[in-house]
Amino acid sequence: MHSTRTTHDTRTGDERESRLFAPCRAACPVHIDVPGYLTAVAEGRFTDALEIVLERNPLPSVCGRVCLRPCEEGCRRCLLDDPVAVAHIKRAAADFGSYPTQQKARPRPETVAVVGSGPAGLTASADLAELGFQVTIYEQKPELGGMLRYGIPDYRLPDYALDRDIDYILSRGVEAVTDARVGADITLDELADANDAVLVTAGLQASRSLPIEGADLPEAIMALPFLEACARGEDVEVGKRVVVVGGGNVAMDVARAARRQGAEQVHVVCLEDEEEMPASDFEVEEARQEGVHVHCSWGPAQVVGDGTVCGLEAVRCTSVFDHEKRFAPKFDESVVQEFEADTVIFAIGQAPDIGDLGLECTERGVPEVDPTTLRTGTDKVYAAGDVVSGPTMIIDAIAAGHRAAASIARDLTGDGRMLADLDEENAVLGEVPETMSSKLETRRRLQMERLEIWEAVGSFDEVELGYTEYEAAREAQRCLGCTTGARLVKEKCAACLTGMRVCPHGAPHIKVGGYVYFDAEACNACGACASECPAQAIAIEGYSEEEMSRRIERQLVHHGMGTTLVFACGSAPVLPEIPGDDVRLLTTTCHLRVSERAVLEALREGASHVVFAGCVEATCRFPYARPIVTKRMKQIQATLAEIGMEDSFVVIGGADEEELAHL
Amino acid sequence: MIVVRQKPIDDILEMVARHKRVLILGCNTCSAVALAGGEKEVETLAELLRLATSRKGASIEFEGAVLQRQCEPEFIEELEEGGFDAFLSLGCGAGVALLSEKEDIPVYPGIDTLFIGASKGLANWQAECSACGECVLGETAGICPVTRCPKGIMNGPCGGVSDGQCELGDRDCAWVQIHERLEELGQDECITETHEPRDHSTKTLVREWDMSEPGERK
Amino acid sequence: MSLRAAFAEGRFAVSSEVGPPTGTDVSEMLETADMLHGRVDALNVTDNQAAVMRLSTIAACIHLKQHGHDPVFQVTCRDRNRLGLQSDLLGAASFGITEVLALTGDHVVVGDHPEAAAVFDLESVQLLDTVATLADGSDLAGNELTGSPEFFVGAVVTPDANPIRPQLAKFEKKVRSGARFFQTQAVYDAESFLRFMEYARQFDVRVLAGLVVPRSARMARFMNKNIPGITVPNAIIEELDASEDPVQTGVDVTGRFIREVREHCDGVHIMAIGAEHLVPRVLDAAGL
Repeated sequence: MHSTRTTHDTRTGDERESRLFAPCRAACPVHIDVPGYLTAVAEGRFTDALEIVLERNPLPSVCGRVCLRPCEEGCRRCLLDDPVAVAHIKRAAADFGSYPTQQKARPRPETVAVVGSGPAGLTASADLAELGFQVTIYEQKPELGGMLRYGIPDYRLPDYALDRDIDYILSRGVEAVTDARVGADITLDELADANDAVLVTAGLQASRSLPIEGADLPEAIMALPFLEACARGEDVEVGKRVVVVGGGNVAMDVARAARRQGAEQVHVVCLEDEEEMPASDFEVEEARQEGVHVHCSWGPAQVVGDGTVCGLEAVRCTSVFDHEKRFAPKFDESVVQEFEADTVIFAIGQAPDIGDLGLECTERGVPEVDPTTLRTGTDKVYAAGDVVSGPTMIIDAIAAGHRAAASIARDLTGDGRMLADLDEENAVLGEVPETMSSKLETRRRLQMERLEIWEAVGSFDEVELGYTEYEAAREAQRCLGCTTGARLVKEKCAACLTGMRVCPHGAPHIKVGGYVYFDAEACNACGACASECPAQAIAIEGYSEEEMSRRIERQLVHHGMGTTLVFACGSAPVLPEIPGDDVRLLTTTCHLRVSERAVLEALREGASHVVFAGCVEATCRFPYARPIVTKRMKQIQATLAEIGMEDSFVVIGGADEEELAHL
Repeated sequence: MIVVRQKPIDDILEMVARHKRVLILGCNTCSAVALAGGEKEVETLAELLRLATSRKGASIEFEGAVLQRQCEPEFIEELEEGGFDAFLSLGCGAGVALLSEKEDIPVYPGIDTLFIGASKGLANWQAECSACGECVLGETAGICPVTRCPKGIMNGPCGGVSDGQCELGDRDCAWVQIHERLEELGQDECITETHEPRDHSTKTLVREWDMSEPGERK
Repeated sequence: MSLRAAFAEGRFAVSSEVGPPTGTDVSEMLETADMLHGRVDALNVTDNQAAVMRLSTIAACIHLKQHGHDPVFQVTCRDRNRLGLQSDLLGAASFGITEVLALTGDHVVVGDHPEAAAVFDLESVQLLDTVATLADGSDLAGNELTGSPEFFVGAVVTPDANPIRPQLAKFEKKVRSGARFFQTQAVYDAESFLRFMEYARQFDVRVLAGLVVPRSARMARFMNKNIPGITVPNAIIEELDASEDPVQTGVDVTGRFIREVREHCDGVHIMAIGAEHLVPRVLDAAGL
């Protein structure tokens, strides 16, 4: 058989060779292919999206909820309105996609022990298992997850969401031994003797306290034990008034958890001013919404109480850092305030608790490691994550887990490519040029539904309710598709210049020799060029005729004659009512991406009708492309008329005016 | 390039009706650029023919392939045996002809060859050359009267010109344009020079051009 | 009588035209010719006018000649290549038909056989050259003729063409190629026509003003809209509109035009287009 189709793995082409990353991807410590999975979600391909995330992050369900999302800060959409809700969409991928079940690599004989099961340990375990190593996790707590389970409250990260990721990691072939503290139940030396490598990812298990008067009172407690008790579902008696000391994200978690334990007044007292506070803005905002009061620039002086806590006395903090940005707080002791409290909770930082491991440590108790290889001074032992770096974002710990796995893999197999890859330089896509921004529509971020405040503070139920599938797709449609856009498949190019004439942003340019190259900065991956290219020589990530064929087949394979196949625009907020007994929906970024061929194929595969739905001017993401789409629709109608099937193709608009009005 | 246009589907269906397995063969040079013979058009036509024939209860298989150029024997030799009993070519007449010569099954034209044209923008071409073998563009400011004037007049506009429009009503008068352009270019002498009747024999007699012999005019 | 004779005698020449029938019955054509006999110097015989198929022009010319009329043989380039054109010119001359009007001709797609091949091997200027070549005693291939014809050859020009300059450039080519007289496209605006005449007077050619009697305002508007190179001024259209007998008004308008231009051109060519009976009335109105 003659075959004309060539499969293009768009992720192994020029783009990957040159390592041109979208700013979101570059900002992500593990460089998840963000535009790639947003594109997949935009078309309703949640499993594909999940697989893309899992390539770089084995904790999508976790990070979809609690990642501090540095990616969103880099989003090029910021120029127009809001960054794309990347984390929310990642969560949707985990919520609606199916985790893969097949293991890829052939098993290897080497064994690796991993101490601790936080994000770094889980990630390294997943990577190593993926490479075929025999991995066993040693966890001192009864369940896996580390701080993800015992530090982050359920209202932000419920157990089911964490378990989903952990189950996936275990399904890779990772073994786990719980209730086993290395150093006590088994020594590090024993592990090192029994395994080819040991990775210590023990995290920061000790809460730092303040050596102030009254800190030893019974109601003056530490953040981590408090959060752990909450995580275990215990009722913690905190009284009506709680003061939380600290200005980081843990302090916010503690404050909000305290509200849920029945505290009516929760005051967060921290040294830093509003600007300096280490907690993320949105964490502070969410805490405030739940009635938490935040008091900045106060230094705790003493816990007030006579046998029982009755308050916290604080003095004005005039500066936190010296001119070399070192921590050196200065106080004005003449300005004093007392915060009444039944309980004072210290959330001022965590420290390693690895004294019993016997590792060579710095004077601050941190294991000394080579920053590239993460090897410790002890043979075969590696350390990674917060235990080495101090407190970081979850996604940083995941990155550290990747590095540890890559380093161990190199030492055990001699293959250093994974490790070298981590340190490769990446080019980052520049700003949106005016030629493009002037043609883009403003569309604000789709807010995720949340529990009402009164509901939220009444329980540890998850506050953020997640996008629906359709909402996720709609939000993903806001992505500008940075770096997923047009690439030339030179060997197929007929140099017709159609793509150049179609592109509204002027992204394609002529290269000497008659070929066309695409300026990635000016491309938002609308697909106009690719869909019009006669030679099918333009590749766009997530969009190809082969992929469309697969999707059509999936929709129609179990459905007999009489099926109505609806190609729905992912940008339409509400889809029109589609008549028919058996209506199948296929969401697409734009009808631009549905070729005449695809419509004909659907009809040949047995669809009785093909419908283009939701192509409405008011919500159009690519308004400049509407003439092309309109022409395409007319062309399809004309073609079908030639064979007497004009009634089989229907174009139905989108939402009616009323529905659009409230947008 | 050579500009082409797909034939009506009924004509194509009639041509392939008695066959069982047909290869639709695109041409990635002129036809593809004319948006009528690239991989996309091949696959679209294949689907359309499958759909149309299955509705008629016929069982004809359609497959697709694209050659870089159908008017080159070496490219045609690249075709693999596929058990086909007919070709439907989306190449110009030259492609169809060479394919017919090289293959031992019937070759049908899926497109009509229209003209040698230049692009005027997206999906829009204008006939610019009739391959008359006797180029006069140097005297007509680059506008071909043989091609652009329906009567091929060589000496100026006919009486049918109206507001610079051809009497056929669908185009500018070539001669009005030639005059304007000659004036712009300062080639006024070309306006007054009378052109002799054309030598049509070139078109008839020069049917093979063999440059392999040394000394031939290039 | 003939155009050549009229010009030689310095008379104001009058020409009209007849169209051959679609079929073999030439009686009506001859009746029309008879009706005009004595009032005109010559009768143009159209050549598949407007690309609509008719009995052959050369045959019609012979019929007219045999009935004592003086035909002007209109020759277009649409239907014959250079062999056909030359042989027809020789054939006509052999019957004494030597007054020829050389035209390119309307394209077939505007006529009743739009699918036909349009020949246009030659066009009007080259046809004039061909006539001259034959008159010199050889054909286009250089073969010597046995008996060479003598032609009095004319061509056409559109004084109201838009744009005008390419039209005039071609007019001059036609003059150079041997056109002795010109029949113009229908003209209505005397002032505009006189401007053209001022230009044309530089050349040693005779010019017949082309006339089409406007029979109604509707017809005038139709011509303005659809016939290239014809402009009926608004004043005339208003006059026709206001008239109770627009045909008579059209005749009057045409007669008036002739009187206005008479001193400045060499004659008129009245294109009757199926209303040949009006030709004598126009001539009466013009005082001819």
